[in-house]
Amino acid sequence: MGRARTITRRSLLVGATAIAGGVAFGAYVVRRPPANPLAAGLGPGAATFNPWVRIDGETITLITPHADIGQGATHMQALLIAEEMDLEPGQFVTGFGPPAAAYYNTAMADEVGAGISATTPVPPAYASAAAGTIMKVLGFQGTGGSSSTPDSFVKLREAGAMARETLKAAAAVETGVPVADLRTEAGQVILPDGTAIPYTGLAARAGQIAPVEGTPLRDPALWRYIGKPTQRLDIVAKSTGTQLYGIDFTAEGMLHAAVRTSPRRGRLISYDASAAEGMRGVVAIVEVTDGVAVIADNTWRAFRALDAIRFDWGPADYPAEQSEHWDIVARAFSDGPLNAVWRNDGASEERLASGEVVEAEFRAPYVAHQPLEPLTAVVRVNEDSTDVWTATQIPRFLQSVVGGVTGHASDDVRVHNLYAGGSFGHRLEAAQVRIAAEIANRRRGVPVQLTYSREEDFAQDFPRHIAMARARGKVADGRVTALDISVAAAPIMSSQAGRLGYAVNGPDAQMAAGIWNAPYALPDFRVRAFEARGLAPVSSWRSVGASCGGFFLETFLDELIHAAGADPVAERLRLIDDPVARRVLETAADMAGWGRAPAPGRGFGVALVESFGVPVAEIVEVAATGSGIRIENVWVVADPGTVIDPVNIENHVQGAVVWGLGHAMNSEITYSDGMAQQTNYHDAEGMRLHQCPEIHVRVLEDNPVLRGIGEPPVPPAAPALANAIFALTGTRLREMPFSRHVQFV
Amino acid sequence: MKPFAIVAALALAGPALAEQAVVAPPEAGSVSRADGLAAWDRVYEVVSHPRCANCHVGPDNIPMWSGPSYGTARKHGMNINAGESRMGAEYVPCAACHVQRAQEDLADNGPNEPPQVALAWQLAPVEFQWFGKTSAEICAQMADPERTGGRDWVALAEHLAEDAHHGGFVAWGWNPGGGREPAPYDLQRHIDDVLAWGAAGTPCAD
Amino acid sequence: MRLIVNGQEAEVDVEGDMPLLWVLRDELGLTGTKYGCGIAQCGACTVHMDGLAVRSCQVPASAAEGAEVTTIEGLGTPEALHAVQKAWIDEQVAQCGYCQAGQIMQAAWLLDMSPDPTEAEIDRVMSGNLCRCGTYPRIRAAIRAASAAMKEA
Repeated sequence: MGRARTITRRSLLVGATAIAGGVAFGAYVVRRPPANPLAAGLGPGAATFNPWVRIDGETITLITPHADIGQGATHMQALLIAEEMDLEPGQFVTGFGPPAAAYYNTAMADEVGAGISATTPVPPAYASAAAGTIMKVLGFQGTGGSSSTPDSFVKLREAGAMARETLKAAAAVETGVPVADLRTEAGQVILPDGTAIPYTGLAARAGQIAPVEGTPLRDPALWRYIGKPTQRLDIVAKSTGTQLYGIDFTAEGMLHAAVRTSPRRGRLISYDASAAEGMRGVVAIVEVTDGVAVIADNTWRAFRALDAIRFDWGPADYPAEQSEHWDIVARAFSDGPLNAVWRNDGASEERLASGEVVEAEFRAPYVAHQPLEPLTAVVRVNEDSTDVWTATQIPRFLQSVVGGVTGHASDDVRVHNLYAGGSFGHRLEAAQVRIAAEIANRRRGVPVQLTYSREEDFAQDFPRHIAMARARGKVADGRVTALDISVAAAPIMSSQAGRLGYAVNGPDAQMAAGIWNAPYALPDFRVRAFEARGLAPVSSWRSVGASCGGFFLETFLDELIHAAGADPVAERLRLIDDPVARRVLETAADMAGWGRAPAPGRGFGVALVESFGVPVAEIVEVAATGSGIRIENVWVVADPGTVIDPVNIENHVQGAVVWGLGHAMNSEITYSDGMAQQTNYHDAEGMRLHQCPEIHVRVLEDNPVLRGIGEPPVPPAAPALANAIFALTGTRLREMPFSRHVQFV
Repeated sequence: MKPFAIVAALALAGPALAEQAVVAPPEAGSVSRADGLAAWDRVYEVVSHPRCANCHVGPDNIPMWSGPSYGTARKHGMNINAGESRMGAEYVPCAACHVQRAQEDLADNGPNEPPQVALAWQLAPVEFQWFGKTSAEICAQMADPERTGGRDWVALAEHLAEDAHHGGFVAWGWNPGGGREPAPYDLQRHIDDVLAWGAAGTPCAD
Repeated sequence: MRLIVNGQEAEVDVEGDMPLLWVLRDELGLTGTKYGCGIAQCGACTVHMDGLAVRSCQVPASAAEGAEVTTIEGLGTPEALHAVQKAWIDEQVAQCGYCQAGQIMQAAWLLDMSPDPTEAEIDRVMSGNLCRCGTYPRIRAAIRAASAAMKEA
């Protein structure tokens, strides 16, 4: 980006401290590998070479610690281990493993690092390394930020290679055959004479020798699974109703609980449970933080008894009415505080001080996550420990949250992670598990399942942050020449990290994400973010900042290009300064046949957004029908560097497009009387099957860095749709949801 | 697509209880035109109310979601279409979600839940399209036995009472539950107004 | 109260207005049928009752008494897949999979009623089943694949 950089030790520490909140550590701590959590309780005859593989005389267990929220994380992780370890599907079982520092996620550091790098003199590689180091030292275990694949790609293959070589070494000890003469295939070590020893037969010996380290990874030309179509490990269970989700967990003697906590995130003033007390199946009615729970012998009975309780809730500490929220956001542009200047190429302020300037204002509302499986947790508080069964992306955080309630040390809180029926950021929170612990603490020794009703889930959803953008730009001679975008938003990271106990100060890389990191070069290009404080608490929603930023930038850019009289694809290609992004947009335009005149009653729109290191281009074709606008086709191209699972990635990209389009069409959360007005799916349903277009996907592999794919296809969807609607109708949509202005079928 | 016969068989099942409205037709001609027109105005208030009109829709066969609890009027969500059968036999039967209940098991429908009655949920016949129609248009339809399935004003009133007697849609319109705004007046008043209008010679305003 | 679920008689002692969904999940331990919304807006709770695909969150237990109820577990198993389940596996429809039991039950009923459905019919019958992960393109493909496979059988 053409900035002179001075890297000082101080700036490195300052940047690093910004994440850790002031943790200091020495070099030894950084280098020491975390303990293998599988080693404890390993009996004779069993072995664990590293935190991802456990083997005994009967079973090979691959630990796949990343949460599976539908993105296929379990399959991806198992595939990587099995690839190097020479295992076939069916020869192993998988498990999430215990929460452990060993499962630290450094790939999330890249996003943090990018943010630090953009606002300090620290270059990206140093910043990511610093952030990653802190994550390792803190044992930051989390799934999110499209980081599971980057986090796993080398680590898990190394784990598989280590296991394979150690098993060969064990076979060498057992048979006297030199390691060099041994090979492995389909879960067996094969001797030169063809004798095959199953891995399980070598477990005992392998447990007695030192794991073999430093094995080089296999040449990709030899890959059997990576990059090839495979059947996802969970697909049969999910197609036969035999997949267990968090909500399905049962335990002997389990009771069922439901809860209502303050819909204003304030205090409970009083309640009257007299009508609920005698209802059938009610075991107990207990107070929890800012709410009341019913424990019953059946989930529905708990829901129904809860409905019979009268509550008096205190006020919210954010404005009661939605219009006041927008006022706060709007005021942040002038009153600040300024969170960061993310980009300042040239002199856009000067450039835009005179002459003909295109100006526009954009809005992105709060939006709920609402995955189809509501939040649940089963907690059993034992004498010296607590067991938690839940679908979570932050298992280690839950240990301390629950321990804080039950009085147990974190290490004595066993978190058993389960498959999630979707998340989209929803399961990065701990509140529901804390409440479940509070309830279970009143019935020690008994497993208590807390199930959120859909209404409670909507009410307690920490939504996608609300944001506005004010954009100014200039065109000349058929070109876009200057761009100055300010974003005012609720700061996401401090809101969410704050709930996990982290004080996060300084630049929030998500607030203007999708804009400041856009792969465009303009002579004058400024991006600033202003914090709007005092709003409702917010959290990460699939693609986070770019879900707003992409809409703001790509819609405004479309306006500028239109003002310049240029072609939306051609002008973007002229502005692009990155070959990977260029290829992505060219490919999308080619697939869509961009440039052909649309059929009567149809229009095309394009958008290109880069998030989490992945450029994605989408072209949307809409049609005018008698009953509203119909989305007919979407062409989407993404470049995550390396495709692990081609079958899954197509599904995933299509799903992200549906997610982005659907919410842009009709979803928002608005507050009135301090409460979210939307209570169930009829109020915010996203896309339905009959509205779903044909979605044509191509995935490129030119990106020099391997990235994830869960979020990147979301941000371009809304602007591509808005731009297509402009082409069709001449109406420029500058706020979501679009249903405020147009009708969809 | 073959019609779904079981849905039809479920119609009118269940014992008759509850609402016993009185159908006492005044002698024909015993109600003045003015009183008849006034009675019709009240009838129109009822039939044009969302609780009734939402399912008295036209040949597009799509129920409406309208009324104070919805905000703006919109078509039934989820691409639902009741088809020519008017009960979803061609696609998704209404009863798949608007499950028929036994009359003694009728309960308050929660807000935003699909209402349930003791008859098979369905749209009114297409001849009885009221949603979006004017008072004059509906009056003309109701006054014409060829457009009411052969029913005259007495038979219409008796039909209302019979439906309510079986815990059907008419009864529900005044007791919709879940915070939904009920139709104005009440069943007995409505029946009396239909009869008064009829006895006045089914007048429609010029 | 006597229910017939997946061909087996089950005796349950519940109030008549307990939704069938919760009888299945909490009383009978059949957790394949899912709770998503409780107001018939998502279809995750879809089962077959006397041959009709219904939202079990809307069926009071009293209405299910004596009726033949089929859940996803009864439609087919990993060892004995229904054609629709096989198509769902071959097309790799599921992402999180939470909606898919309901999708499959609805699709199986659709194909029973209309073995060669048009796109419009698929749109009409399946749009009550919400998928937050957005697997709709694959759901359509799997229905077409199942239709083709069932015609050949």
